[in-house]
Amino acid sequence: MGVFENKFQDNVVVASLDKLLGWARSTSPWFFQFGLACCAIEMMATAASRHDLMRIGMIPRSSPRQADVMIVAGTVTLKMALRVKKLYEQMANPKYVISMGSCATSGGPYWQHGYHVLKGVDLVVPVDVYVPGCPPRPEALIEGLLKLQEKIQSERPLTRKTA
Amino acid sequence: MTDNLEQLINDAVEKALAGDMDAINNIEDRVTRSKAKAALVKAKREAAKEQTEKSSDENSIDSSDVKQDLTINENIAELLIQQFPDDIIKELSSKEHIQIQSKNWLIISKYLRDDPACLFDSLQCITGVDLGEESDLEVRYNLHSMTHRHAVEIRISCLRNKAKVPSVESIWRIGDWFERETYDMYGIEFEGHRDLKRILLPEDWEGWPLRKDYEVQETYHGIVVPKVKEGWE
Repeated sequence: MGVFENKFQDNVVVASLDKLLGWARSTSPWFFQFGLACCAIEMMATAASRHDLMRIGMIPRSSPRQADVMIVAGTVTLKMALRVKKLYEQMANPKYVISMGSCATSGGPYWQHGYHVLKGVDLVVPVDVYVPGCPPRPEALIEGLLKLQEKIQSERPLTRKTA
Repeated sequence: MTDNLEQLINDAVEKALAGDMDAINNIEDRVTRSKAKAALVKAKREAAKEQTEKSSDENSIDSSDVKQDLTINENIAELLIQQFPDDIIKELSSKEHIQIQSKNWLIISKYLRDDPACLFDSLQCITGVDLGEESDLEVRYNLHSMTHRHAVEIRISCLRNKAKVPSVESIWRIGDWFERETYDMYGIEFEGHRDLKRILLPEDWEGWPLRKDYEVQETYHGIVVPKVKEGWE
């Protein structure tokens, strides 16, 4: 660390604040506990003891105010789309969205004839990671979550963005 | 030797059939004894079979005396025609359903629930049917009686642009949600329903999705519902 090297005692770790923030955010992304369809069952299985999301610092929160990640698990109907949007708006920054399964990603089997289904949740909220599958296995969802952690870690919240 | 054994077994079985089991039990050779018991079981089975065949023959003679087997729908239709001669459309009814006019449906449904010969205490399903853009809409009711263990299907047709049917929500309480769902999907109005509004779709939805002439709306609260699906198929 250049000039800071050997200037402090042994129990002091020197890091850039940017990286520290990224590390802190990425290792405890609490997710918003709500499911829309069958993908929610896989999400529950992921959070349950066999796959144990606590390993990667994730626990479900029942309030959007306390959640960092929203896992859109299942078919988003047009009726629900407005609610999903409202819930997303209630979350505090920084906030992330995972689109789980083909329904949330593109409408899935309701792509052509589902008059009531939103064709992709990215039409109402910005999506960070898409997890394919119908429904995705817990391993697939964990892969998506790890990708999201990578993304969060690579963010530099304090660095001024250059045009 | 073998002829002798068979003779012995046959004799023992005949005696056993007549009620004397000792004839078999007293056979000293174990193998012969078990053979005799097997033969006895077989003989008894055949006897029972003959018995049932004989009795079923008698039954069929009995049933042919009754003039005709009516299905439960036809039976109930006969009952209804006696009570409400103008409301039952006999030409359009079949073995599987009873077609009725919508006008007196509330009274008829009360009769179906309370009459001792009907006692339809449960409304199992209400279905809306769109038979095509040229024809009318139809409502179908599946009724079941716990007491008599019988079920009928009632059908009522209604006009497409003036779809109105009396509500049976006051007769069978479950009809509340069934009728709301039928209203939601087909726009059939159930007159006398105390809270007729959409049950599944949002209240500001336009159109009746399960009608054949339904057009998917282009946007819903500013969200585009794409109709052209490019890059597929």
